[in-house]
Amino acid sequence: MRRPPWVALALVLVAVMAASLMLGATHVAPGAVWDALVGQGSDDVARTIVRSIRLPRVVLAMLVGAALGVSGSVLQGTLRNGLAEPYLLGVSGGAAVGAVLAVAGGVSAPSLIALAAFGGALLAVAGVLTLARAAGGASDTRVLLMAGVVMGAFANAAIMVVMAAGSPDVARNALWWMMGSVAAAGWRDVVLLAISLGAVGAALLHRARWLDVLALGEDAAESLGVDAGRAGWRFFVLASLLAATTVAVAGLVGFVGLMVPHLARSLSAARARPTMIVSALAGGALVVAADLVARTVRAPAELPLGAVTALLGVPFFLWRLRVER
Amino acid sequence: MSAFLFFRFRILTPRRARAAAAACLLLAACTTSNESPVATPALVDDYGVSIGPATAAQRIISLNPTTTEILFALGAGERVIGRSRWDQWPVEARTVPEVGDAIRPSVERILAARPDLVLLYASGDNRAAAATLSAAGVAVVALRIDRLADFDRAVRTLGHVTGLEAAADAAVDSVERSLARVREAMRAVPRPRVFVHVWDNPLMAIGGGSYLSELIDIAGGRNVYAERPEPSPQVSFEDLVRREPQVILAGPAEAARLRTDARWADVRAVREGRVLAYDTMLVARPSMRLGEAARALALLLHPGTVLP
Repeated sequence: MRRPPWVALALVLVAVMAASLMLGATHVAPGAVWDALVGQGSDDVARTIVRSIRLPRVVLAMLVGAALGVSGSVLQGTLRNGLAEPYLLGVSGGAAVGAVLAVAGGVSAPSLIALAAFGGALLAVAGVLTLARAAGGASDTRVLLMAGVVMGAFANAAIMVVMAAGSPDVARNALWWMMGSVAAAGWRDVVLLAISLGAVGAALLHRARWLDVLALGEDAAESLGVDAGRAGWRFFVLASLLAATTVAVAGLVGFVGLMVPHLARSLSAARARPTMIVSALAGGALVVAADLVARTVRAPAELPLGAVTALLGVPFFLWRLRVER
Repeated sequence: MSAFLFFRFRILTPRRARAAAAACLLLAACTTSNESPVATPALVDDYGVSIGPATAAQRIISLNPTTTEILFALGAGERVIGRSRWDQWPVEARTVPEVGDAIRPSVERILAARPDLVLLYASGDNRAAAATLSAAGVAVVALRIDRLADFDRAVRTLGHVTGLEAAADAAVDSVERSLARVREAMRAVPRPRVFVHVWDNPLMAIGGGSYLSELIDIAGGRNVYAERPEPSPQVSFEDLVRREPQVILAGPAEAARLRTDARWADVRAVREGRVLAYDTMLVARPSMRLGEAARALALLLHPGTVLP
């Protein structure tokens, strides 16, 4: 069994975060960036750019990537299915419906849109669980998966109706939200997501052993004294909560939760805990790097974060696939 | 799909005239009803943020073609230190450095230019930028200019923040007077029903929420969608046919297309050969030349009319 490359990954993460603080739509000299970070230097504008714009943005991108990575690795572990991802239980669809309805209803304050998205995500997850229970198997992963897919289709339809009926302003605003962005990151978003990731992450790490047991199959799990249905259900809810918080602060950032856990497993041991931690580090690094690209290649205009994560991530993923074989 | 309208017109295609016309109309027209200005004596912008006491801003970034034009018209052009890529008028504005897009602008790029005032287009997705800029200590005024009254208000607001109140009052008076002249001249003419074509798929018209609907009224026409409160509502082709527009107004490229499109052949205005092309530079955006725009529309709708 290989040792997980903690140090290498942590170094990569620190390096992309440092690069992200140095680079942006405008040039700030490295010395000035450092001065701004430590609160020295006489350049107020540089200080504002580094401390109020870049720093919260970089930290938020890191947290979003980490949360989605953890969420994805937990869901894939629980389902024993590599196609599982954080948006599985209707999180993305529900959040998008919430956000789009809020935008169409004339809400434009970012924090209210975030709240609507979070509420939509929770409602959708509750809906999926109820649906699965009605179908006779809230603890049956296949039924849950089906219910999530159905909820997603319904949400998509609802979004299209609202966007088609709304003004071009509504459609554009909603579309940008669905493509994901950390452009408007503030410290409040960072604190919110940090608390969520800390609490949920700790709970997940604490129960990581259950994931390993679940990986042996339900019968084996039962024989080891773990109620597979209940445990799986809890993991679902926790992972979805985490994803819902990321959606509230950054919109829909696709791909990370799906692919990062695969990378993590190829880089680390197959055990749940190291996979979770490696997923957090790799997810954080990927989203920070993607955001750096998103806000610099066409500066001062930006590319959608959700698209750049996939554009950067897929080639890397393919390269790993080749190496693995 | 309306979702892509905005993106489509951001790319300058060979069909530039059509795209530019749509862009201007949409930028001028996009609105959500509950963000309309609050009519109070205290000056507030279209985010409902109150604008402080009169100032004389010296380093202005204007990310809205209409406000940029107004600033130049008021004589504050040399104080404009940044603009969006859409701010192309007047010609002198093109020498002002671009700082990016008008919607979801780069806050970092704006701050780096050290402005003391930033003018934004008041759409929902610019709110985050406005909040960040305000937090960094930069004055922000967000305006949405849909109707003629919005234009007057914008001119006066800009006069207030640049210390050019007198010039602003004079500019508003001059625009109002020239509009009044056209209105007076066209008072007694028979009013044709007019449809203003904005976009094809989905079909979009100019509604009563747009200055252009008011201009048509002044110019001696009746907008067939005047009762719709939105600036540019979606409409159905069926409904349009039933309203029997006697005149269709469109940008030059679009007008040429509508004249030969089989689908449009049975619409009354097309049948009667009255698909008219307006001057997109003059009409498609509210500007200091509103009076001239009304005049041009009047001559288009009523050829041969003698205007004072």
